[in-house]
Amino acid sequence: MKFYTVEIEERREFGAYTLLSYRWPGENIEPGRFVMARAAGYPITLDPFLARPFSFYDFVDGVASLLFEVRGRGTELLDRALGTIEVTAPLGKGFEIGVSGGRAALLGGGIGVVPLKILGRELAARGIAHDVFLGFLDGKTAAVADDFPGAAVATMDGSTGVHGTVLDAAPDLREYPVVYACGPNAMLAAVKGAAGPDGLRQLSVEERMGCGNGSCNGCVVPVDGGYVRSCIEGPVFRAEVLAW
Amino acid sequence: MVVREPLTGVDLSVELCGMTLRTPLVPASGTLAKEALGEVEGVYGAILPKTTTPSARPGNPPPRIAETPAGMVNSIGLQNPGVERFMQDLDAFDLGVPIFVSVAGETVRDFVALCERVSQDERVAAIELNLSCPNVEHGGLTFCAGPAAVEEVVAACRAVVPAKPLFAKLTHEGVVGNARAAESAGADALTVMNTIPALTIDAKKRSVLVRGGLSGPAVKPVALKAVHEVASTVGVPVLGGGGVTSGVDVAEFMLAGATVVQVGTASFVRDPGEILAEFSDYLREAGMGAAELTGALR
Repeated sequence: MKFYTVEIEERREFGAYTLLSYRWPGENIEPGRFVMARAAGYPITLDPFLARPFSFYDFVDGVASLLFEVRGRGTELLDRALGTIEVTAPLGKGFEIGVSGGRAALLGGGIGVVPLKILGRELAARGIAHDVFLGFLDGKTAAVADDFPGAAVATMDGSTGVHGTVLDAAPDLREYPVVYACGPNAMLAAVKGAAGPDGLRQLSVEERMGCGNGSCNGCVVPVDGGYVRSCIEGPVFRAEVLAW
Repeated sequence: MVVREPLTGVDLSVELCGMTLRTPLVPASGTLAKEALGEVEGVYGAILPKTTTPSARPGNPPPRIAETPAGMVNSIGLQNPGVERFMQDLDAFDLGVPIFVSVAGETVRDFVALCERVSQDERVAAIELNLSCPNVEHGGLTFCAGPAAVEEVVAACRAVVPAKPLFAKLTHEGVVGNARAAESAGADALTVMNTIPALTIDAKKRSVLVRGGLSGPAVKPVALKAVHEVASTVGVPVLGGGGVTSGVDVAEFMLAGATVVQVGTASFVRDPGEILAEFSDYLREAGMGAAELTGALR
């Protein structure tokens, strides 16, 4: 896998989350695609050894941004990175946009809110009406909601917005011809159930990845008859494809 | 497609079982998807796709990988579409260099049938027997469990592959005895080594995370020793690998006796072209061609 050293353009904190941005001279970045990133390359970082996958948070005027929560050593080192980080080119399949008419619901759980920023920007640019619903554990993780004007918010501890899950903040999802969601598998399964089978339902999964280019077969999700790689066939899937 | 600077002034080619490979690097099986081939054009001397089996295997449920210091543990479960579908898709792996096909079965009969099927195809330059899978006829011990098991399966495959190079891929445990057995049963070359059986535990959940094979730089010294011992013992060439992550690592494996060096897990975290470029720099500095390096320990 080829990595590029890029300069950090901006570092910002939203409560529990860190935003890092960098200039990406390559192609336009479609919402839902992701990148493998790390603080530094071989041989500096033998431990942690693998890069980490991140959905793009935003892409404006050639500046790509990532938003993440420090969960372990990989994200901790990225959080402390000074000057440069290493990234791959954009990877994976993003959201299908405009293939089906009507209002869209965007649902994000925790750090799963990430791809909704760039997705919302693209929908707005295309004049597609949409509503955003964000669910968080607590007030500290919910701080990023400030960057989603107009979004309905829920927190599990009730500190911000509605007390409950993202579904408690959303109306009947079956009313929406288009539903996009990203978050933990349990949340995505709940969204899939609540949204029903009709219309376009797309889920962006969060899986551990080894390589990001299809080679290691580590990031699979269950489908009818087996497993597919979330880095190549995803990370965005039509809900009906996923066997959960 | 990545355009590379021509690596002038260095002879990277090596001879393996009558084939001339333009570089001594070969991907380790299971570490190069067809989607990633565009990144490795011009890097590898041969292509070795993920192991295929008699019928489709869905693979193991996730989690399948766990990161470890300087490495990772994987338990993919030989996910593949089965040999017929695999052969239909083989053209995707044509980069203008020989294609080596890795096969695995649960019985000796499986291996024989796979060898018959695969060796008939002119696109296949050589066959690598992945002997680390459980042999269901021998209580689930692997085909690498001991010299008798190795000899049985290699001899049976040799009988149906008279005209193409046959490689036996061995684990590090008991590798010297198994290498002797594979050679005497007719293997043309030996691949040393496979991943090391390993376990990761999620202490927070108090549960097993991944039970599988350890790979990456962490295993390199183990692999080097295995390659060195095997190359000092047998007369057939060795495809060495295990944690190869830099051009100097490639040189070390060749010095230990490898003719060809397999790059696996490192390709997840580095551009294999960089590894080849570093190896070229090493050769340039040493004033040697790649082929001269094999076994050239002082």
